[in-house]
Amino acid sequence: MFFHIVLERNMQLHPRHFGPHLRDKLVAKLMKDVEGTCSGRHGFVVAITGVEDVGKGLIREGTGFVTFPVKYQCVVFRPFKGEILEAVVTMVNKMGFFAEAGPVQIFVSNHLIPDDMEFQSGDVPNYTTSDGSVKIQKESEVRLKIIGTRVDATEIFCIGTIKDDYLGIISDPGAAS
Amino acid sequence: MSGRGGKGFYSTPDGNYHSTRTGTPNGRQSPVDIIPISDSESESEDYFEETSTHSKSNGKAHSKPNGKASSDSLKTGGKTSSFSEGLMGSGKGGKGSASFSVGKGGKGSASNAKPAKSDPELKLELDMPPNSRILMDCEAAEMLQQIHEHMAILSEDPKIKIPESFDKAFQYAKEGNHFTTAKSVKQILEPLKKYGVTDGEICMIANIGPETIEEVYALVPSLKATKELNESLVTEALDALANIKASNLIEDE
Repeated sequence: MFFHIVLERNMQLHPRHFGPHLRDKLVAKLMKDVEGTCSGRHGFVVAITGVEDVGKGLIREGTGFVTFPVKYQCVVFRPFKGEILEAVVTMVNKMGFFAEAGPVQIFVSNHLIPDDMEFQSGDVPNYTTSDGSVKIQKESEVRLKIIGTRVDATEIFCIGTIKDDYLGIISDPGAAS
Repeated sequence: MSGRGGKGFYSTPDGNYHSTRTGTPNGRQSPVDIIPISDSESESEDYFEETSTHSKSNGKAHSKPNGKASSDSLKTGGKTSSFSEGLMGSGKGGKGSASFSVGKGGKGSASNAKPAKSDPELKLELDMPPNSRILMDCEAAEMLQQIHEHMAILSEDPKIKIPESFDKAFQYAKEGNHFTTAKSVKQILEPLKKYGVTDGEICMIANIGPETIEEVYALVPSLKATKELNESLVTEALDALANIKASNLIEDE
């Protein structure tokens, strides 16, 4: 789920950047440092939308670098337990399948795939129902529910299920539209 | 009294309930494990929640006025603390309190058998900082579209690299978007807030794009708790959303 939040960060700037464009350089450094990163607490920082406030700089003893506390607004993406997401399948194997929803990777174990779907190996590994009516393979779109998230310092990894009502395949890349 | 045995508890002749998981060979229970339960249904449900939350975090007891409790308990308790924070995050003021039961139709009204899911599990465990605003996918898509247009200018500078997660998130927001204008979706779903539907639940409805009320209740189980309050409103909202969806499809053709 997307959030628009205000975060604060202490940015260090070398004195060579001081001058009339100090603020621009600070914002550029902030974007370079923060955009694209992931924190376990807030999720993936997708984009910075604005800088609210730049505090007074403090000169650090010994190095001469100056630390500025910067408050900025950003769009973050963070998955939550219980959330329903639409994801695209990226890999299928006999343990289950991996899917991607935005920057987040989700794994759906074969225990959390409906019992009537069996793994079919081959050139295009897939999960298919016994009557062949539903097939989950690479590039399929599936609706799944997040049942658990694991949070590292820099990454969020999720476990999902399609075993509940109204979950499962949305569109099949092989089917005619 | 019958049917309360459940998760490893058995009654002794003196009327107390004892855990079977004590591990003492002679059957004598250590004082720590003896937890008397009264006969009331709702109180027994409080009990199950209390023992689990007690061990997980003290976030509730130490909540500070500036709302930083959730971040503190996350630092100490990690994932496990999200259990109690799901309650805090819902803004209902904590488990067992009067406001909680009034808002959500009351835990006491649960069925006689043990409920399959406890109330916190039904809710989304949203534990974002207090100054955050949930965005629906359509809103996020519009925001990211504007940023994308700026980035197209910036990307001409070879030193600036557009992060991969931005592209992926932008693609996801655009593709998952069933409705073109976020404003109309917001107008339709905003009135639901007055009837106890949380921001997270509203976003879920907008992101999923359900067609029937049964789908909504299946995928957002926390709404089921206040079914009597919100059923007609949600059905109306779904009809209105279906109109926007349909009109967008016609425009595309």
